[in-house]
Amino acid sequence: METDRPDGRTPNQLRPLAYSCSILHRAHGSASWAQGETKVLAAVYGPKAGTKKNENPEKASIEVIWKPKTGQIGKMEKEYEMILKRTLESICIRTIYPNTTTSVIVQVVHDDGALLPCAINAACAALVDAGIPLKHLAVAICCSVTDSGCIILDPTKDEEERSLQVGSEPMENGIMTSVTQGAMSVNDYLHCLERGRAACASLSEFVRKNIGTKSTSEPSKAG
Amino acid sequence: MREIQLPLSQTQKVRLQKALEQLESLSTKVNSDASVIIADSIHVNHEDGVLKGHGTADLNGEVVATLCGVVERVNKLVYVRALRSRYKPEVGDIVIGRVVEVAQKRWRLEINYNQDAVLLLSSMNMPDGVQRRRTAVDELNMRCIFEENDVVCAEVRGFQHDGLHLQARSRKYGKLNRGQLLTVPPYLVKRQKQHFHHLEEFGIDLILGCNGFIWVGEHVEAKDDMIEDQVSQSDSQVLFPNKNCVSLEEQEKNYTILETRKYISRAANAVRVLSTLGFNITLEIIKGIIDLSLSMNLDIHDMLGSEFCVLVAEKEAERRSSMKKRR
Repeated sequence: METDRPDGRTPNQLRPLAYSCSILHRAHGSASWAQGETKVLAAVYGPKAGTKKNENPEKASIEVIWKPKTGQIGKMEKEYEMILKRTLESICIRTIYPNTTTSVIVQVVHDDGALLPCAINAACAALVDAGIPLKHLAVAICCSVTDSGCIILDPTKDEEERSLQVGSEPMENGIMTSVTQGAMSVNDYLHCLERGRAACASLSEFVRKNIGTKSTSEPSKAG
Repeated sequence: MREIQLPLSQTQKVRLQKALEQLESLSTKVNSDASVIIADSIHVNHEDGVLKGHGTADLNGEVVATLCGVVERVNKLVYVRALRSRYKPEVGDIVIGRVVEVAQKRWRLEINYNQDAVLLLSSMNMPDGVQRRRTAVDELNMRCIFEENDVVCAEVRGFQHDGLHLQARSRKYGKLNRGQLLTVPPYLVKRQKQHFHHLEEFGIDLILGCNGFIWVGEHVEAKDDMIEDQVSQSDSQVLFPNKNCVSLEEQEKNYTILETRKYISRAANAVRVLSTLGFNITLEIIKGIIDLSLSMNLDIHDMLGSEFCVLVAEKEAERRSSMKKRR
């Protein structure tokens, strides 16, 4: 059975993706990621000398600053910051730059559902743009379970009711971060994981194609 | 590199695209199979016992890239040359930094590295040129030599336990006055034998720092500066004990004539054009751009327009193709 979605998409269809990097001049790395109407701008500064409270003598530390579109930072934004910080810490090679701090500033341009996966994708693309060594390229996706029990991918704001956000490594197909909101059964959760993993594979191909295009064209201008 | 953000018209866009495609065809044949993305595996012969260098990591017995860039192989060393990373210091590099802090017996300089560089009081020549041991009076007078936000030229000495150390033991290093400081990505500045350039026909000095900081300033003779410093120092101590008072002689000394200031701005804009297009910054190319703008009777601010950038890209494509034919 299929459920009609308000924007005419099938349950497994993603919203159109838009990605660009190196758009901020003063940041060491920057990227913008949009899925449909949801858009996030990420900037990376560093590695730079850490402040006294953040310094770790053996590893680099990562600081995530979340800037909502309007209003003050609430509990939801604090949770997003923490989730994003742990996700980025798990993909960065932090032993190369001890005693340093890398700041990742995430600015929400518009929120139309699936905001946290969009922010994860933008932050990872900004880290690549800044030239920070990473173990993997992480991509994130959002699934939702409707009232009728159907699982849909990449929900909009209206469809976002009981959602699951999966961040996976495309190389090993593992899961680094999984966040659930609302209530769902175990079978629905496992189905969401399968759908999310399959969607992350196509997302990863999209990211690699775009980064690869820029990477190939760069040596001709610099060499 | 940053996408070229210029307000291009349709004709200029086509011309720029053609020039960049020509440049790409000249060099892509050598490099096209060597570019990697993060988590790509690099094919190596494991029996040879390869060394994994910068930008690579070992994952399940396989060599993978941790940066986006180009794979380079030097004998048994395999590393990834990243195009978008910060400056990586090497001993002997000439760098330009900005003083951020005056601490005890040292200055901290920002040189586009992940930590501040350290310039010790004992690692530099005193302004009066006398070779002697540093005393407590010299420590108290450190702000008379360099203060915060001064631009300093130095040489990388090495890594110590407390960070990166610089030294300024020659007359060509030291404080930089009367010019412009530019910041470009460090991968655009190649390591060469000579990083200090004197453009005699324009009367300006050009210092290409390996960390991407480039200084364009008025030419300073090294020996005369010492004598002048001594005279002005004794004069200021006797006649003007107040620091805020600037004498007429010092105003005349710090004045730069308009013609030289125009040449400084023109050279700085030439560097900015190269940085916008993502080209290598060398002395010959900078001179070529300055001569091109002078021959076209172009205003200094028009050098940053889109028409001139497209023209520079076309000239660079012609230059490289002619160099290739010459070989």
